[in-house]
Amino acid sequence: MARMLKFNIFRYNPQDPNSVPHMQAYTIDETESMTLFIVLNRLREEQDPSLQFDFSCRAGICGACGMVINGRPGLACHTKTKDLPEEITLMPLPIFKLMGDLSVDTGTWFRAMYKKIESWCHTKKVFDPAAQEERMDNAVAEAIYELDRCVECGCCVAACGTALMREDFLGATTLNRVARFMLDPRDERTEKEYFDIIGTDEGIFGCMGLLACQDVCPKYLPLQDVLGKLRKKMAFAAVNNILPSFLRKDIKL
Amino acid sequence: MSVPSTATHEGLPVGKLSAYFDWLQMLTGAALILFMWCHLILVSSILLGPGVMNALAWFFEVTYMAQVGGPLIFLAFLLHFVLAARKIPFATGQQRLMLANAKRMRHTDTWLWVIQATTAMGILIMGGIHMWVVLTNLPITAEKSAARIQTGFWFVFYLFLLPMVELHVGIGFYRILVKWGFLDRPGRWVIKKKENLLTGIFIAIGLLSLLRYYFLPLK
Ligand code: HEM
Ligand code: SF4
Ligand code: SF4
Ligand code: FES
Repeated sequence: MARMLKFNIFRYNPQDPNSVPHMQAYTIDETESMTLFIVLNRLREEQDPSLQFDFSCRAGICGACGMVINGRPGLACHTKTKDLPEEITLMPLPIFKLMGDLSVDTGTWFRAMYKKIESWCHTKKVFDPAAQEERMDNAVAEAIYELDRCVECGCCVAACGTALMREDFLGATTLNRVARFMLDPRDERTEKEYFDIIGTDEGIFGCMGLLACQDVCPKYLPLQDVLGKLRKKMAFAAVNNILPSFLRKDIKL
Repeated sequence: MSVPSTATHEGLPVGKLSAYFDWLQMLTGAALILFMWCHLILVSSILLGPGVMNALAWFFEVTYMAQVGGPLIFLAFLLHFVLAARKIPFATGQQRLMLANAKRMRHTDTWLWVIQATTAMGILIMGGIHMWVVLTNLPITAEKSAARIQTGFWFVFYLFLLPMVELHVGIGFYRILVKWGFLDRPGRWVIKKKENLLTGIFIAIGLLSLLRYYFLPLK
């Protein structure tokens, strides 16, 4: 028997001075292999053309459809209704700027954070368009790729108690991004330069190890491992010069 | 150089203080865990008999571990408190955010942190009182402890302090392991189960010891 699903969806349009934040209920019949992406599109087509939400790839690649699904951040296109109870509550991701209903602007946040950590390869080499591209060891390329799989959906940030309390906290995705450049042999930044970026209370030392980021990341990034290694690496970077040589450690990511 | 987020005439240098504080918070926490395990051995030795406990207490006394170690632990306790309290939100807005997040997400690890932060405040007050009373009344003997607990007031006092400390210590142990990358992702779930069991056992041993003191015949 197909279920009738009841949806409670957050509604608010900041552009409209008459709009007040409220929850609106919808019912819809469940179909086979239904995702929340399908639900939202059907709701907009069949019941309420004013409903705002984001998506583009519908395949867990663009990261646009992040929202709070029954209390937990996740990707709408990645979430099947059959894994959810009959009553489903959808809220926009906290922390990010609300555009309307379920749509938030993650771009501004990510841009600001990436600017803080200077999210690009720092190199003094002058680019030669005629030369062959430098080769990279396959294992290194794979390690970088593993962290590069982040789709910037913002779910890890929205789930993080530290990020909720303190808006200057870099968050798991940004720290993961720094780790990605640490792995990249083309980036010539020194440990000291990385320390200046993340060796702070806004960076890795602000993380309280709640691991909500790990538990919600829809791409299953190894955030727990990355955060642990970053903390160790930065902690040792700060004390290596005062430790006796047998205690010194150079942590590899 | 990181890009300064406020307009200063030049980028503020990033010091190492955050890193030192994080080290100290972890190391004082770890030292306190080790201490609590030793503490448990001393206190629960009453289960083997007042003679065993008195022998242990005497050993700590003649080796000056009580007179020197006690105040040192008190110092570690205060240092740990000051450092870790920096993470506890004092603004009600932040407290509500943290609680609402834990509830909304039904997320155990976020709840564990909430428990850690709340038990911390209880431990600060009750643990402080306890340490003061014991350390200003050396030497430690089974009879003195039993007499204190049999007043009734201290029995109830310890009934609250015991689970708070064990929870805080248990969660703290787990947190050090995850924060400092000692566990991989599967390892996290294995440790969590064991840690829960261990905390349960410690609370049980603590309760039994308390009862033993309570019913210990006084001369
Ligand atoms: C004086 C009262 C205390 C306060 C206010 C306090 C507060 C805290 C807080 C808020 C944390 C979490 C820190 C974070 O998330 O980064 C923490 C961690 C911890 N606490 Fe306490 N605590 C107290 C006493 C104790 C005692 C008596 C022990 C052990 C017997 C202990 C052992 C630990 C351990 C092992 C950790 C984990 C360390 C870390 O995450 O770096 N604490 N404490
Ligand atoms: S780390 Fe995971 S949860 Fe965070 S933004 Fe990237 S894909 Fe999303
Ligand atoms: S481990 Fe916790 S505090 Fe650290 S980034 Fe993840 S959710 Fe935030
Ligand atoms: S629509 Fe692209 S990730 Fe969901």
